[in-house]
Amino acid sequence: MNMKRQKMIRLTLSYAVILAMTIIIVYPLLWVVGSSFNPGQSLSGSKMIPDHATVAHYKELFDTSKSDYLIWYANSLKISTLTMIFSVILVSLTAYSFSRYRFVGRQNGLITFLVLQMIPNFAALIAIYVLGLLTKLIDTHLGLILVYVGGAIPMNTWLMKGYLDTIPKELDESARIDGAGHLRIFFQIIMPLAKPIIAVIALFTFIAPFGDFILASVLLRSKEKFTLAVGLYDLVAKQFGNEFTTFAAGSVLIALPIAVLFLSFQKYFVSGLTAGGTKG
Amino acid sequence: MKKAVSIFSSLALMAGVLAGCGPDKDTTEPKTNEKNTTTTENGMPPKPEKLVVWEDVKRGVALEPAIKAFEQKYGIKVEYKEVEMATKQRDQLRLDGPAGTGPDVITVPHDQIGQLVTEGLIREITVDQSVLDTFTESSLKAETYNGKLYGLPKAVETPVFIYNKKLMDKAPATMDELYQFSKEFTKGDKYGFLALWDNFYFAHGIIAGMGGYVFKDNNGTLDPKDIGLNNDGAVQGTEYIQKWYKELFPKGIIGENGGSTMDGLFNEGKVASVMNGPWAFQGMRDAGIDIGVAPMPTLPNGEHVKTFMGVKGWHVSAFSKNPEWATKLIEFLTNEENAKKRFELTREIPPVKSLINDPLIANDEGAKAVAVQSQYAVPMPNIPEMAEVWGPMATALQLVANQKTEPKKALDEAVKTIKTNIETNHPSK
Amino acid sequence: METSMYRSSHRKIALCLSIVPGLGQLYNRQYVKGAFFLILAISYYIVFADLLDIGLWGIVTLGEVIGRDHSIFLLVEGILAVIILVFGLGVYAFNLYDAYKNGQQRDLGLNISSLREQYHVLIDSGFPYLMISPGFILLVFVVVFPIIFVVLLAFTNYDLYHSPPAKLVDWVGFQNFIDLVKLDLWRKTFVNVLAWTIVWTFGATTLQIALGIFLAIIVNQKDLKGKAIIRTIFILPWAVPAFVSILIFSGMFNESFGVINKTILASLGIDPIDWMTDPFWTKVALILIQSWLGFPFIFAMTTGVLQAIPDELYEAAIVDGATAWQKFTKITLPLVLYAVAPILITQYTFNFNNFNIIYLFNGGGPAVSGQNAGATDILISWIYRLTMTSAQYSKAAAITLLLSLVVVSVALWQFRKTKSFKEEDMM
Repeated sequence: MNMKRQKMIRLTLSYAVILAMTIIIVYPLLWVVGSSFNPGQSLSGSKMIPDHATVAHYKELFDTSKSDYLIWYANSLKISTLTMIFSVILVSLTAYSFSRYRFVGRQNGLITFLVLQMIPNFAALIAIYVLGLLTKLIDTHLGLILVYVGGAIPMNTWLMKGYLDTIPKELDESARIDGAGHLRIFFQIIMPLAKPIIAVIALFTFIAPFGDFILASVLLRSKEKFTLAVGLYDLVAKQFGNEFTTFAAGSVLIALPIAVLFLSFQKYFVSGLTAGGTKG
Repeated sequence: MKKAVSIFSSLALMAGVLAGCGPDKDTTEPKTNEKNTTTTENGMPPKPEKLVVWEDVKRGVALEPAIKAFEQKYGIKVEYKEVEMATKQRDQLRLDGPAGTGPDVITVPHDQIGQLVTEGLIREITVDQSVLDTFTESSLKAETYNGKLYGLPKAVETPVFIYNKKLMDKAPATMDELYQFSKEFTKGDKYGFLALWDNFYFAHGIIAGMGGYVFKDNNGTLDPKDIGLNNDGAVQGTEYIQKWYKELFPKGIIGENGGSTMDGLFNEGKVASVMNGPWAFQGMRDAGIDIGVAPMPTLPNGEHVKTFMGVKGWHVSAFSKNPEWATKLIEFLTNEENAKKRFELTREIPPVKSLINDPLIANDEGAKAVAVQSQYAVPMPNIPEMAEVWGPMATALQLVANQKTEPKKALDEAVKTIKTNIETNHPSK
Repeated sequence: METSMYRSSHRKIALCLSIVPGLGQLYNRQYVKGAFFLILAISYYIVFADLLDIGLWGIVTLGEVIGRDHSIFLLVEGILAVIILVFGLGVYAFNLYDAYKNGQQRDLGLNISSLREQYHVLIDSGFPYLMISPGFILLVFVVVFPIIFVVLLAFTNYDLYHSPPAKLVDWVGFQNFIDLVKLDLWRKTFVNVLAWTIVWTFGATTLQIALGIFLAIIVNQKDLKGKAIIRTIFILPWAVPAFVSILIFSGMFNESFGVINKTILASLGIDPIDWMTDPFWTKVALILIQSWLGFPFIFAMTTGVLQAIPDELYEAAIVDGATAWQKFTKITLPLVLYAVAPILITQYTFNFNNFNIIYLFNGGGPAVSGQNAGATDILISWIYRLTMTSAQYSKAAAITLLLSLVVVSVALWQFRKTKSFKEEDMM
């Protein structure tokens, strides 16, 4: 009886905490959604449940004669997708080598990867610009993608290497005895087993470009090449007369696909990240 | 051992080769920049194929007819691109200019001129006296730095008094009247008058009107060593500002996002009047507010509010290969006809003497108010030292607005910081 | 001693010939390989000669003629030239080594392996290098190269009055670092900013970690229903781009018009709080927001670890009469912390450099009297302020360099203490 009551109390408390957290998490998000339907432009006039809900801001975003939002959206999707593909390939190759081979420079390489992700480098934007210039990659999406992919390598290699370390080596060894080559082991044995972490890395590298407005604004010059982050940031960054509600509408449209993606990847996520995290 | 020796010797050999090739190039190198190739032989140099102009965002409409006319007249193609004016034109010119992908003509607020000249990004221009005579004196002064002319003015702006005609019948003549009105009107989320006086750009009007000044103006040359932001007048002005914050302004308009908050409130019809620049007119009208515009009411000491005047000008990039034709282009862009067209299309007020009394401007309430207020306004200092003023002054004003510090103390500290910053970052010239 | 085994001196001849890449291989009768090296060398020279020429000269002099030479561009080209030179030398060294090695084989009277065999050897021993190289090369240009740039910039006098094209930039050695210590202006603010940076890093990160672990444990209880939905909700903050969330929060925390003061606190009967104008409350708001943004990552990871803890551990504990609290402190927490420690350290370094939240929430404000930075400016946002308002590029680079050294050494020291570095096999 006592046990049962204890359990009751414990569960009730747990649900209470969860409910409280849910409100804290969902409230700001709902509020964004709400203000995106508000008529005015300003933050101060916005209400969570608007008196006269309107889809005007969404219409404005989708009106190609008035806003480049759709172009930016397409640009962002393209950049994110390509960044994701390239990153996954390069990270898999690198992480696999670090996990499975013992070669000269391996340990130093790993430490270097670790250190690189800690150094703040926005003082170096000018360097990236000149590099882009020399390679004629300024104002091209390819240039931006390469920068994103390069930046994604260190952290994600660590994550992936950690995960690959948990895949028993006996698997590749027996395959090798059976005569499988390096590439075959990589593609047919390791990669299928690494699906969860690949999913995680794909997700990370897909999302990262959506959140960056600094690199993108240095490298991209023409308005029709902007990414969503750059374009949207411009909407609110204007000191005078910013368009908060339109920004909110734009944000909802960014967050939606990402959230859906996130949630559909969720099951990989927990297993993928954990193994990587625990060992890496 | 022998192996090591031979490897070493080969490395040494290579190093030698490289060392040889380095200095070698001093003579062979002048291919990097061909800036000095255009030499003027009496009159204009050969026409370039095209000129590139950077215009502020959403202002391209005003440029289009002008460049079309220019193309027809001179047969030089002109391309333009919209680049945000406040910071991006400068930042991108820094990169694109030396890279050779920059424009021939840019537009920046005049307070950046000193910095741009120091960095060597824009060049001095020479135009006929007859051209100069068409502009107002104060606007040309703003385009002049160290006694040299660096651009031609395209528009002036200065904050004015804007009111919601539904909530206020007519603009008050004095700040005291406005204060009385505001006392009665401000209630709940309704406000009689709002201003961003924690931002030095707007606060300057009050401070200078009461007797403060940024840098001493010695016949056109600003002295960065003589700062008048904590003199008696400045302190009185700041005390006056503090009074408004204490009694009437909400805290939510203080700080980084205050501007958008204030605009929002006004556009929702909750504010009877604000101090804001002409750039805000359109947004307010779009929001369906019937606005009236007037010069700022006079201060309690009888003086006018000495707002900061900003001049937006056209400048020739130091990287332009055709500076003469670029100068020609900006002369053309700012001539009476094109200035008038610009006003019709963008409502930017040109500092062209003949236009000030033109019915077109005289009958436009907003333009007239700006033109009148401009007479009392002070051009923002355009020397690089000004960069050190904004931050500390914003700090002081914010502390005063929040009622955290006494005006005198806040200003003393700000001036001290400004002076240290100038000494450290701007070694005396 | 070993020389006595050689019957000829092909190795030396091959080595010497390979000073011109490929000749040694040709001498060793490896024609394809020799030709390959030769062509590689020639094309390297053709493609990069100009860059190497200008770059190496530029990085040393930083330009000589005002107007013609843009020091900063030259510096960048110089770094690139050095990187390319290092790559080139690497291949060159390999060419020498290869010629020598094969010559040695001949000296020993062994058959030189055919191209096909060589290929297999290369694939076998070189496979990891082969796999790493694309990523590595990209990394060098995109990540390492900018860092080198910042490091070098710290030793120049690049500021407003030494800005190309009007002026040339010069190497000034350690002058910037000396100024940093000597000048009051820089030193005075530094201490205050550093103090808050440390509080911020530890406060915000620890809170987000604690929250993440705590929630993961609660949700992971066996008899709790609706786990999937709850986990989904708890991951949501992660799914919204951070800059969007921060800007939204900045609106919500507005003192007069934000929902927090106007609706939430008002309905609870609490007086409005000075979220934006009082340093203390701004700091509180920032830490709360960062927790909101950062906990889902920890939550997701911890959830995974918890699911991996075998039930037997708890069952044994129950048999031994352990209380719930003991189970938590003796089993769960150590296992979780042990498992996620390396990732946690990256969370700390992330927040140390978390420019976005500081900049976007309140621009480092509110203002504080008597210092050059806002009350919530952390080191990184202060550097940004310095660069933007005073154009002190080289000083900012010097501070960045010092900062990075500190962060990296602390992090490395911490990492070495975690298990992944101790396990022989892991590294």
